[in-house]
Amino acid sequence: MSNTLRPYLSAVRSTLTAALTLENFSSQVVERHNKPEVEVGGSKEVLLNPLTISRNENERVLIESSVNSIRLSIKIKQADEIERILCHKFARFMMQRAESFIVLRRKPVPGYDISFLITNGHTETMLKHKIVDFIIHFMEEVDKEISEMKLSLNARARVVAESYLTTIILETGSFFMYPTSIIN
Amino acid sequence: MILLEPHNVIIQTTLSEKIARPSSLDVQFVDYDNVRFHLSTPERKTAVLLSMSIRCWGDLVKYGALDILKREYGSLLKDAAEPEYNVSLEIDLEQVPPEGEARESFIKSVSLLKRNALAAPFEHAFRTQKELEASGSGQGELMQVHYRDEEAIYVQASADRVTVIFSTVFREETDRVFGKVFLQEFVDARRLPTIQNAPQVLYSNRDAPLEIRHVPGLRDTEDIGYVTFVLFPRHFANAAVSEGTISHIQLFRDYLHYHIKCSKAYMHSRMRHRVSEFQKVLNRAKTEVAAPAERKTVSGRTLVSR
Amino acid sequence: MDSFRKIDIDAFDEDVLLETELYDADPRDPAQVLDDAKAKAAAVRSSLSKGDIPGALTAVLDGAPYGPNVDEAKTLALQTLVTILNSTKSSDVSNIVKSLSQDQQDTLMKYIYKGMAMPGWGDVSGSVLLGWHEKLTEAAGIGCIVRTMTDRRIV
Repeated sequence: MSNTLRPYLSAVRSTLTAALTLENFSSQVVERHNKPEVEVGGSKEVLLNPLTISRNENERVLIESSVNSIRLSIKIKQADEIERILCHKFARFMMQRAESFIVLRRKPVPGYDISFLITNGHTETMLKHKIVDFIIHFMEEVDKEISEMKLSLNARARVVAESYLTTIILETGSFFMYPTSIIN
Repeated sequence: MILLEPHNVIIQTTLSEKIARPSSLDVQFVDYDNVRFHLSTPERKTAVLLSMSIRCWGDLVKYGALDILKREYGSLLKDAAEPEYNVSLEIDLEQVPPEGEARESFIKSVSLLKRNALAAPFEHAFRTQKELEASGSGQGELMQVHYRDEEAIYVQASADRVTVIFSTVFREETDRVFGKVFLQEFVDARRLPTIQNAPQVLYSNRDAPLEIRHVPGLRDTEDIGYVTFVLFPRHFANAAVSEGTISHIQLFRDYLHYHIKCSKAYMHSRMRHRVSEFQKVLNRAKTEVAAPAERKTVSGRTLVSR
Repeated sequence: MDSFRKIDIDAFDEDVLLETELYDADPRDPAQVLDDAKAKAAAVRSSLSKGDIPGALTAVLDGAPYGPNVDEAKTLALQTLVTILNSTKSSDVSNIVKSLSQDQQDTLMKYIYKGMAMPGWGDVSGSVLLGWHEKLTEAAGIGCIVRTMTDRRIV
């Protein structure tokens, strides 16, 4: 783990732990409604200051909290076009499965790649520190996954190109040795 | 399977089967680039009719496809093709060569029907190059083969080389980005000492290469790419070599897209796996709620909590 | 034609909660706040040249500008604070944050979050702020973060 990743994740962990103090709270605006105040944004006395934790411009986490819900949005590192597209695909893949991820929001907050919405209902049925663990685990793994996918794409492209061009030479009879990278 | 095969496996297996045990037959199937095939026995069980429909038939005939097919298939080639198809071969199962290598190579050559048809512009270009080389200079005609709705192959011979240009459309953003990675590797691969003799590959996104810039109707949108192969005389030095080169070159577009799709499928399976791992981690957060004992009302109905 | 449906009638409620009712306003005049901030920036520079980091921090954290109409003073204060944070040796951070009073720690936490919300601005460096954040959380606990979230007196 690189040396700035650890303080970054620990800052997210402590901020998220601090924010996860949620209680049941019925809407003050509409009778018999109970909705995540952070999404409604109707009554400002139940919203808390949004906090941002950033490692650099391209990697940051926004935590918006309210009395009964918090919204955590992650901007995942994207160094180039390939990472951007892989990240987009991965986030989309997960958000399509938001149903089974319970705390996942179906749409990211503008400017971020993926968002989670944790309500008092979730903290009542799930262990709070384990939810925090999940978010941190997600942040660790998603970077790793994207860079691994990128590597595998490059490796495949290389093998594909080499074996195609090699067959043409093999048939021209001008070379008879296989490049080692194909054998491996 | 990294490389694609130039022959059609369905023709190959069906024919071998029918030669061994003739029976009536009527199958339609497709190959790459929207090529359609029809295998049938319209008259009797031992006369198999193989018809092919290919989008760029007009182009191919112009560059001498009929001559090549006549050379390859001789009397098998029917004068009039089956309706809705471009070309038909009639194979009399009683006249095929005896079992063994001869029969195998006969079947193989029939299954190469599409490859042979598409070989026309390449053979034409290779011949033109020889003539130009003898005369010392000049350029051959720019041959266009519109083998798909929006994509084409351009072949042009000059005194010292034959240039083959593919235009290819990437339907979506992901394909475009993946395609770029793959094509970049094609360009870079030649730096390896082991494959320096391979044809030179050039790649441009959006802007058409100079050779075909004057061709009307080219698109210059972000989703189109142009790949140029420069074939030198050593790539078609003799008949065997040029055959191999033609077989590979004409499958280039399919090969590229096949691997793009494979990568996407691989990414998808990776994501599936990773997401299920995440799911497990999240499930650890759930407190175990013991299922409450089923409660019943006096009248025997079940209480359901919502 | 349906624009009347989009009118937020709650905003016209006579009981409506205003931003200003959420916290006590700064008693100082905006111009005076700016002067204070400038004076502090100068004081901090002289403290820093002597190597007195705790003194510089105390100066900037006490009476930090907050509330509306003092954007310039806020920017100046953040700038000053970032300079202090950047010029501190990472081995000293732990002791310095422990020596601060609770109010000062809370204000420092507010500034750290503010700095992180604008990466790439001025000399803001993610790794320095994250380092301070970690040490401050160790010293002041999660409560400090909660107070940053709940305190309406945004710096």
